Amino acid sequence: MAYRFTSDEWLEAFANQLNSDAQYAEIAKKWEGDLMFDLRAEPGAGGSRTLYYMDLWHGRCRSARMIDEAVEEVPQPRFILRAPLDQFIRILKSELDPMQAMLTRRLQVSGSMGYMLRNVPVVLDFVRCAREVDTTFDMV
Amino acid sequence: MAGPLNFRILHWDMSDGAHELKIVAPELLREHLGGANLAAQIAYPSLVPETDPLSPEAPLIFMAGPLTGTKGPAVGRYVVCARSPATGLWGESNCGGSFGPELRAAGLDGLVITGQAPSPVYLWIDDGEVEIRDASHLWGSHDTYETQLAVRNELGRKGARVACIGQAGEQRLRFGLILCDHGRVAGRTGMGAVMGSKRIKAIAVEGRQPLPLASPDAFNATRSETNRSLRVDTMTVSLRDLGTAGIAEYFDYLGYTPKYNFSRGIFDGVSKVSGAAMRESILSGVSTCHGCVIACGRRVKLADGVERKGPEYETLAGFGPNLGIDNLEAITHFGELCDRYGMDTISVSNTIGLAFLLFEEGLITAEDADGLDLAWGDVDVVNELIEAIILQKGIGALIGEGAASLGRHFGVEEWAAQINGLEMAYHDPRGSSGMPLVYATSPRGACHNQSDYYMVDLGQSMEEIGVDLVGMQAGVEKSPMVARHQDWRTVGNALVMCQLASVGVDVVLKLVNEATGFGYDLDELLCVGERGWNLKRAINNRLGLTASNDRLPARLMEPLSDGNTAGYVPPFEKMMAAYYSARGWDEITGRPTEERLRSLGLDAVADDLWGNEGHITGS
Repeated sequence: MAYRFTSDEWLEAFANQLNSDAQYAEIAKKWEGDLMFDLRAEPGAGGSRTLYYMDLWHGRCRSARMIDEAVEEVPQPRFILRAPLDQFIRILKSELDPMQAMLTRRLQVSGSMGYMLRNVPVVLDFVRCAREVDTTFDMV
Repeated sequence: MAGPLNFRILHWDMSDGAHELKIVAPELLREHLGGANLAAQIAYPSLVPETDPLSPEAPLIFMAGPLTGTKGPAVGRYVVCARSPATGLWGESNCGGSFGPELRAAGLDGLVITGQAPSPVYLWIDDGEVEIRDASHLWGSHDTYETQLAVRNELGRKGARVACIGQAGEQRLRFGLILCDHGRVAGRTGMGAVMGSKRIKAIAVEGRQPLPLASPDAFNATRSETNRSLRVDTMTVSLRDLGTAGIAEYFDYLGYTPKYNFSRGIFDGVSKVSGAAMRESILSGVSTCHGCVIACGRRVKLADGVERKGPEYETLAGFGPNLGIDNLEAITHFGELCDRYGMDTISVSNTIGLAFLLFEEGLITAEDADGLDLAWGDVDVVNELIEAIILQKGIGALIGEGAASLGRHFGVEEWAAQINGLEMAYHDPRGSSGMPLVYATSPRGACHNQSDYYMVDLGQSMEEIGVDLVGMQAGVEKSPMVARHQDWRTVGNALVMCQLASVGVDVVLKLVNEATGFGYDLDELLCVGERGWNLKRAINNRLGLTASNDRLPARLMEPLSDGNTAGYVPPFEKMMAAYYSARGWDEITGRPTEERLRSLGLDAVADDLWGNEGHITGS
């Protein structure tokens, strides 16, 4: 079943993928830090904002939810990753390397870039899991 | 708006002290812009095979760029140029700190130094007034930090900026560098040895003159906006947070960082010595060059509690993974030792690494090594070798001659990680396909600063100048992009602008025009870069460089057996052929073609290289 990006269901499928992936569990076993994706569509594409919050701890995703800023306070996690929606989709489609995206401002990092650089394999495997989610982008 | 920019160059003969201020005509400055390009133009007549790099006749040139000393982004640099005693070819090495800005504030944009002082001296440039002072009491006794302090105290001018040499430069060792401020160095190609050959221990400058800007209001508005943007740039934040060594773990992951003198692909200790490790252990502060918002410099405290310079990426990679060392305090110490003696950390660590490799392979015996066990990771041995280089004692004397010479001595020159006599920087040419071309064609040997193409491969493409992302292991399609990137970086070396600043091509163009009043369009500015690249190439051709020099040593054309780039070797020969085609270089002689030289306005150079009849002159 394909999940539509940027739906609630897609995020849930991604969290399930992380929690069922033995390789990610091993590589990320020392990772400690929640994060939030802050993705904005271009004004021409509706200008909407998607906030995905994920609590990542020792190789597991302890919780994941889509933030509705109209009804709840936006969390302040350890990392916030901001990107135009189209650039994030390029990452999911394997058209853009996530580390390249971070180092060239296509994906802006709030939080310790040093922690990211020390955990490159974790970052890359996290993205690998996202790419393994059966995803449809037709509504974006 | 003021008139077009003039450059004020002081020509100073150390033999008799005679000096003359010459103004570079705006037309000539427009062609070469400043920095290393202008220095190459000025030095060109002197750079013939008969000129020994360490002879009185050989010029030593300090040059600023038209943005140096302004509050523009990362433009506090100057460059030192000469015929290199390390390579016999064109030598240039640029340096941060505040010496360059102070030189311009003192009313000078450049110094052309010839001759040889009868005894050791230092030069004092006080707001345009110049003086030669005795330095006999500093020669042989004061390291680079002590020299700066002593000169300032002697002058009674704590604000003076001092560029100086250490014991290596005094002894004219090929690793000799020039250092200023808090350990900022013109490290490569032996410029300190050239300064030592002229018996100049130091140059001190102080000035209060305003910098000339063609359109000061427009420039100030642009540079303010640029610095605001640069301050929050992801790379800037990372560099400020972790220093240049912050990238070490990612480079390691990609297979960019050489290990065990380029012989293996895996070293487990990178995370113990990276910029992140430094921040978590010994970091005590940061330092910055003149007016720079990046602040990549590290300040660290070791066990003695003394705050000192921390290692940047090249020093850290050279004395770390390159030697199998995972001890951050030891690496910091080696960097400081080299700085104090005035030696280039890349060349020193690279050549020591080759000695370790030859020892491991049984080509150097314990007897050859003065009884030392040259074992990977042994910090005491590295310490002894650095001291032995300065003392020119035993194996240290051999190492002090550089990697090519050391390899040749033991019958394996092709093992040396060097090109045309300059030891390779710490970006493995098997890590991505652009760097082999960069190294092989750089005018100063195996240098990463004539084009940091590894950063393009990491995603810093420049579509405005036709440098696109084509994949780390792309083939011939990358060759013309490497040439374009080199041209752009040669513009940067004319401006003497730091490569670490993520500033767009369009912004640089705007700043240059607002500073100079030259009204360049992008094509003309790129042409300035291409002209500089080809002028340096022609200088090297005249000094004996041919197409056969454009190669990597055989050992680096063999794939690594482990690590993330195991099994990969770039398609070098095909890429080089495409590069020659893009450059318009003659594949037999390795020279820029006559047509290409004339199209760049280098007619006199074309006449010299090809003769009036279009035939090759010289060998």
